[in-house]
Amino acid sequence: MTRLLAPAGSKVLFLGNEAIARGALEAGVSVATAYPGTPSSEVIESLAPAASKRSLYVEWSVNEKVALEVAAAASFAGLRSMAVMKQNGVNVASDFLLHLTASGTRGGLVLVSCEDPGALSSVNEGESRYFAGMLEMPLLEPADFQEAKDMTKWAFELSEAIGNVVMLRSVTRMSHASGNVVCGTLPAKARKAAFEYGGPIMDSQTGPMISTPVVAKHLLRRQKLKAVCALFEKSPFNRYTGPARPDLLLITASACWLYAAEAVHMLGLQKKVGILKLGTTWPLPPRLVSQYLRKARRILIVEEVMAFLEENVKVLAAGNPKLSEDKTFFGKYDGTLPFAGELNPDIVADALVKIFNIRRCGLSSSYQEEARKTAAMLPPREQTFCAGCPHRASFWSIHNAIALDGRGGFVCGDIGCYSMAALTPANGFGTMPTLHSMGSGTGLASGFARLAPFGFKKPVLTVCGDSTFYHAVIPALINARHNRADITFIVLDNQGTAMTGFQPHPGNEVNALRESVPAVDIAAVCRAIGAKVAVCDPFDLSATGSVLTDFLAEKDSLKVLILRQACALSPEKKGKKTFEMKVDESLCLGDACGCNRLCTRIFRCPALVWDRKKKKAAVDEVVCAGCGVCASICPRKAILKSQAASAAASGG
Amino acid sequence: MKRKKSSQSRLKKEVLEQSLCTGCGACVGLCPYQVVYRDRTVQLFDCDLSDGKCRAFCPRTPADGRLLRDGLFDAADATDEIGPVKEFWFTRAKDAGLRARAQHGGTVTALLRLAMSEGWIDAAIVSGRLDGREPEGRLIDRGEEPADYAGSRFWAAPTVAAFHRMPENGAGRVGVVATPCQALALAKIRTAKIDGYQKGGTLSLVIGLFCGWTLALDRFQNLLNQYHLPAQNLTGMDIPAGKNILELRTAGGAVNVPMDEVDECVREACRYCIDSTAEFADLSVGAARFGGNPVEMSGWNQVIVRSEKGKNLVSLARDQGILECREAPRRALAELMSAAAEKKKKALARIIEKSRSPEKLLYLNPDDPAVRKYLNEVLQDKAKPLLKKKGDR
Amino acid sequence: MKTKRLSVTKNLVLTGVGGQGNVMASRALAGMLVDAGYVVTIGETFGMSQRGGSVMSHLRISPDAVRSPQIPRGGADVIVALEPLEALRVLTVYGNPEVSLLSNSRSIDPIGVITGERDYPSEETIRIAFARLTARYWLFDATAVGLDLGNPVLSNVVMLGALAGTGLLPIDRRMFAKEIRKTGSPEKCAINLKAFDAGFSMSK
Repeated sequence: MTRLLAPAGSKVLFLGNEAIARGALEAGVSVATAYPGTPSSEVIESLAPAASKRSLYVEWSVNEKVALEVAAAASFAGLRSMAVMKQNGVNVASDFLLHLTASGTRGGLVLVSCEDPGALSSVNEGESRYFAGMLEMPLLEPADFQEAKDMTKWAFELSEAIGNVVMLRSVTRMSHASGNVVCGTLPAKARKAAFEYGGPIMDSQTGPMISTPVVAKHLLRRQKLKAVCALFEKSPFNRYTGPARPDLLLITASACWLYAAEAVHMLGLQKKVGILKLGTTWPLPPRLVSQYLRKARRILIVEEVMAFLEENVKVLAAGNPKLSEDKTFFGKYDGTLPFAGELNPDIVADALVKIFNIRRCGLSSSYQEEARKTAAMLPPREQTFCAGCPHRASFWSIHNAIALDGRGGFVCGDIGCYSMAALTPANGFGTMPTLHSMGSGTGLASGFARLAPFGFKKPVLTVCGDSTFYHAVIPALINARHNRADITFIVLDNQGTAMTGFQPHPGNEVNALRESVPAVDIAAVCRAIGAKVAVCDPFDLSATGSVLTDFLAEKDSLKVLILRQACALSPEKKGKKTFEMKVDESLCLGDACGCNRLCTRIFRCPALVWDRKKKKAAVDEVVCAGCGVCASICPRKAILKSQAASAAASGG
Repeated sequence: MKRKKSSQSRLKKEVLEQSLCTGCGACVGLCPYQVVYRDRTVQLFDCDLSDGKCRAFCPRTPADGRLLRDGLFDAADATDEIGPVKEFWFTRAKDAGLRARAQHGGTVTALLRLAMSEGWIDAAIVSGRLDGREPEGRLIDRGEEPADYAGSRFWAAPTVAAFHRMPENGAGRVGVVATPCQALALAKIRTAKIDGYQKGGTLSLVIGLFCGWTLALDRFQNLLNQYHLPAQNLTGMDIPAGKNILELRTAGGAVNVPMDEVDECVREACRYCIDSTAEFADLSVGAARFGGNPVEMSGWNQVIVRSEKGKNLVSLARDQGILECREAPRRALAELMSAAAEKKKKALARIIEKSRSPEKLLYLNPDDPAVRKYLNEVLQDKAKPLLKKKGDR
Repeated sequence: MKTKRLSVTKNLVLTGVGGQGNVMASRALAGMLVDAGYVVTIGETFGMSQRGGSVMSHLRISPDAVRSPQIPRGGADVIVALEPLEALRVLTVYGNPEVSLLSNSRSIDPIGVITGERDYPSEETIRIAFARLTARYWLFDATAVGLDLGNPVLSNVVMLGALAGTGLLPIDRRMFAKEIRKTGSPEKCAINLKAFDAGFSMSK
């Protein structure tokens, strides 16, 4: 059955996120919540199927703040609980988190933040480590897969020991990497929930769970940190490897430890460089760090994105002249490592090469030259909407409606696969000039629409996905209605949280536990807000286009168009073609057609290709998802669609 | 190597951005990129082809009028004011029922009917009615009634697009009822020498309409709103001679709109047009206005016959008793010519104002003698007040 | 075939285009090797980068220790590519004169090629580059094999079979059968084994 429940002692290949999930199970977690977001989603995804066997409640919450609130309720009732989110999700949850760290917690509560240095699947390079310092909660960072499991388990114990939230931070190269993990035991008994609140106000175990009296509670929180430091000094997650007196002390944490170890090994610097790997990165255990700072005169701090670790090490060293005198610190502030983007073994190796002024042996220059020449001729593989993606059709209609309207309308973008519409030249056909956080598209649109008194006359549109609608759009939509913002709001409803792997959301009739639940209807919500609502199939270009042009022409009202069509990769659609598509070569005039290759040059579906030999359009049957939309864009009707006989065989 | 600029981007720069687009539809229906939407020519996506037919056929891209005239007309018939004139008639349809449905004499409808029944043309393109939707060119086959589309319009329909949208083969010969700008586009299409393009040859007959200006639909719509008149209630409109009003007819009676209000709604592009009589048509038809008293002329058309084909059609119509033809009074032609010349001068003055140079006439060729003549007059007129002022001193 | 135990870490890059089953193939391969007692690290990117873009899995197969989930540049021992352009892309970063390459020959045009802005390298150009940048390479149409078996995405398993056929890694049919049985239905296992066998015979 599920690998997550493998017996104690078994060695399993776990995704970092699965290792975190297993650690939580070993800690006896009772409630686990999350809003999906890459690279965090697999924690809950792997826990959900195990829930029925482990007396565990798992939910996909409507957003990260609610996820943390649901988890906190379990903690207040004495259960162990966990809320999981991606880096910017912590920002969403942060208001509640600010008050939660002040009220304290009871059952172990772990906030897991999976971050995305280099923004491999994000539109930001946000950092949540600073929240640990800002809200005075302990921060743990696993550096390999075994640690991801073990540290998660310990995080629950730590949280209970100090009566406060513990933050566990992972990164893409940990969450989405896999490695061997030896499993521990799963606890036999589940806890019972009970919420007591009749005790003294300053007693977070029996009293009310509130952040007041603020100053007194704040002082209490600071006191807890002393206990944390004491535990961190002895933590096995902090390790030193290397010579007794290294030429260079390399301080690092998280996946960066793996890069650093690889780089030192690659350059053969094992006898010169000592690596202090920290698992407990805030608050830093002062005695431990000081002990190693004394060993070397040169210190390199290796971490991704911001200089959080570097700053804290420097603050610690600055407090003691013996630790700061005659020391050289390498890191981000001196430019040895970049402040932006993710690291890898090569970047760390290059930093070491610079510090030690050595040469890195590598490939012959002739091989490098050959590789360079080859690389120069490779066409890049730009991101784009998948074959059969409803968003391409939706933006096609949006683009055309804006062009026909002729007043220079534009779309305020939002977060989801459709964010790619903001890329040039992805598939928004140049219509989407803004892209920020979830729900911000509607808020911005609401603002633009009120600029008419200042001479701003362009019609304003905005898009959001179905999951995003519930997450953060509703307040902005209410704002637009209440403040009479004339906007055309388009819900790109592909019937699931497609980008992160089809997690159910409040619009679905099933939840994370596969229970049947009531669906919250987007159209009904919008109507209740007072919007004029239409629903269309985006694959019907002419119906969609005519609603959009009418909406743009209609002034002084809030208009909502729900474009409903399931994602091409959704479980119900994947591998099944609605239509078999082919190009009739006798009708396609190729370059001789006045269409100037509208299908391949403008529409840009990965499955509609240009046959370089025949100089005509062609359908790549392997890539084609059979949506049929391209048949309606060819002015010569040369793209033919016929009902597909049957779904393709499953496999692979 | 410097890449040639795309026809589409030149069209945008030279015509659309200069407010010269007449909405004739000559650039529409040839490709998926150019469309007409609510009276505006819209470029949906960028097209990077040069030598596009869109630009070649546009009546507001530079072209040599001399070459077009040489290809279509007899040089001996040329006039500066109103283009080629073989004959000039006052006409009206014999069929009183038809006259009642038409605006003036019903000449256009009568001639179209005849051309179709005689098999000169297999189909005709006319301007459709404004039935709450967008104006558009309507293709009518044999057996359909041209009279259903009779009556004056004061807005432009993208009629030429309907010609482009017809299948390349199988539609047979086509007749088009065209405003002056549309007739110019059609002349470009008829005389085009483009590799692989033969469709121009199916254009067998162009019946031109006299035209002073057309309305910009959005502004006209606003005007209708001011008068609480839904567009679909309009049954007809006219400018009665000598009254300085636009008469909007509905089932419930007529509404008169003062001309200065109407003037606000005139399409910008029309102010730069030098052609009021459709000089590039086979024959041109207008309301009889000059050379007599209004009452006597009401219900009659004036017709300029320009080409051999036009001449044959009118004689056939007369011989078959379909059309009543009257010798037009001499004064009528002279007055028509002087009014046409006035329009040319006004338009040229505006063009110079826009281009800021008498040598840059946007779509017109300063070396075309038919243009040069009025250009010189405009320049002299401009100089006059200055001289006068000097003299005053 | 008898497989020899690895004594040093082997680095393998598995590459392709989003939707080609890259992740499934790397997990299956890693699963076999973990069962065989190796310490395996896979580095993957998925999420937004999967959408029509290049995808890549880095496998570090070590007799003893966890390795960085990212292979250093020029550090691949084996490259398995589900698409030839991606094979070239990975070769130019992770290739070295000793590297072995197995590549599917069926191309998937990037958008820039579809629109006509860029050229896809010809098969001859690809072969020349493979010859210059690898110690040995195999190039064959795994997608056609998948299509014959009813689903083009089976090309990923064809490539795994081919990898086993080369003997470059200590994997065999028995290990694959065991791995595929962990997740798949009996029919799915049968079709996957067929694909594996077809691939095996192509490189052996």
